[in-house]
Amino acid sequence: MPDIEIKKLCAFYGKAQALSDLDLSASEGEIIAIIGANGAGKSTLLDGIMGLVTCTGSVRVGGDEMLGKSSSATVAKGIGYAPERFNLFPYMSVKANLMVGAHTAREDVQTNLETVYRLFPRLAERKNQETATQSGGERQMVSLGRALMTSPSILLVDEPTIGLAPKVCLEISEILRRLSTEMGLTVVVTEQNANFALSLAERIYVLEGGKITSSGTADELTKDDALAQSYFGTKH
Amino acid sequence: MTQIIIQGLLLSGLYALIAMGFMLIFSIGRVLNLAYGAYLMVGGYVYFWVSQQLGLPQIIGIAAATMMGVIMGLLKHRLIVKPLKGDHVAVEISTLILAVVMQAGVVLVFGDASKILLPIVPGVTQIEGAAVTYNILVAAIISWIIIIGLYVFVRNTYTGRAMQAVSMDEKGAAISGIDPDRVNLITWGISGGLGAVGGVFFASYTQLSPTMWVGPLIISVAIVIVGGIGSIMGTLIVAHIIGFLEVIVVAKLAPELRGVFTMLLIIFVLVLRPQGLFGREEAH
Repeated sequence: MPDIEIKKLCAFYGKAQALSDLDLSASEGEIIAIIGANGAGKSTLLDGIMGLVTCTGSVRVGGDEMLGKSSSATVAKGIGYAPERFNLFPYMSVKANLMVGAHTAREDVQTNLETVYRLFPRLAERKNQETATQSGGERQMVSLGRALMTSPSILLVDEPTIGLAPKVCLEISEILRRLSTEMGLTVVVTEQNANFALSLAERIYVLEGGKITSSGTADELTKDDALAQSYFGTKH
Repeated sequence: MTQIIIQGLLLSGLYALIAMGFMLIFSIGRVLNLAYGAYLMVGGYVYFWVSQQLGLPQIIGIAAATMMGVIMGLLKHRLIVKPLKGDHVAVEISTLILAVVMQAGVVLVFGDASKILLPIVPGVTQIEGAAVTYNILVAAIISWIIIIGLYVFVRNTYTGRAMQAVSMDEKGAAISGIDPDRVNLITWGISGGLGAVGGVFFASYTQLSPTMWVGPLIISVAIVIVGGIGSIMGTLIVAHIIGFLEVIVVAKLAPELRGVFTMLLIIFVLVLRPQGLFGREEAH
């Protein structure tokens, strides 16, 4: 059974439809990526899974239907989310931000804090610094760390490389891979940077205009000439 | 001079307590709760009824007033604020109307004549040659205990951190597993309790009357506008600025000018630093 299974998901902002009949799934410990241009619906998809956007269809996590549940129930079910704009608490320290993430996983707080500091030693060094004064890369780390503090089994990451230096992108990529291989987390990443997605994910979905237009492994997608030309800048 | 310093410190402590509940709602719910002064009025009257009319111990009077404030806060959130979510103007107008309705209710039950609340602790002492009533001294000390307790609660508990988180980024709080609606409800309850207990001390310092809600509301608005949103320390400091300003004006200029300089300070801050002296820029 897939760890997360989405069927016929439609999302709406008022009367405007942002996602149409979207199907996707990810197995336990798998990394999948959703690639697409600005406005394709990537953030809406992740917000929809988190219960932040009005949706119809089905989002099943570990067999349980989550659509219509609140964000706090979704987090308690084991979904962590690192959004594109981070949505950190700017006038709190790094550690206080992480502690907010522990709101629903209080019994794991010490273990999770140690895990976050082991994955992101820079956060341990700067745990008393307000996040408002941090760089984009550091804020991305706090955002991922805060999501990990919720004790997730599935991690949603929205455009983790946007605006970051190549070196930091590599660091983030390595961390996401370790979360999958060492901790068994299912990772769902959205990206505009197709090459980043290609190097990281086992399966990739292409999202255009709120619809999944193709999907497959990196090898399969790069063999599609039109797709390769549009997203990967190559042609066979 | 000693008299001014002591009176300033004592009055400021009381003002800080009064403004704290108002600041919490403004910081977390982003709403100017114009019925806040009514919490103080009802708190004062409940205390008067329990401790002076029923003759029960004062501590029971204070507990009853606090409980009534909490209940009013919770009901206001559930019946007015939540259904009007997002429409701040409608919430503010509704809370103002509610304050007027509550004033009418108090007139109906207790009459419109002012009442004297007996001092919670009677007697007068001398501090550095200045005469200080035990009542204002105890009010200031309890204010400080409550403010320190609130500060520790907000900084060190999961609920307190959740309140801070919702005030800074509601989406960030929601994806951390916090239910912002529940946090708002708790905040309205705490605010109501703080307002009501502040009303007991304020009424014992001044007097009890159906229109007494206006003065503390203006003080609260002034402190929060001058201090800016989201800072307990900022509220505390500005409460002292305004408290001392009033004491100095009354002592050195004229009692009639008591609130005038506070109003001028509001205008001054709104023009020069709209986010307040200790206010934060909104998170993006």
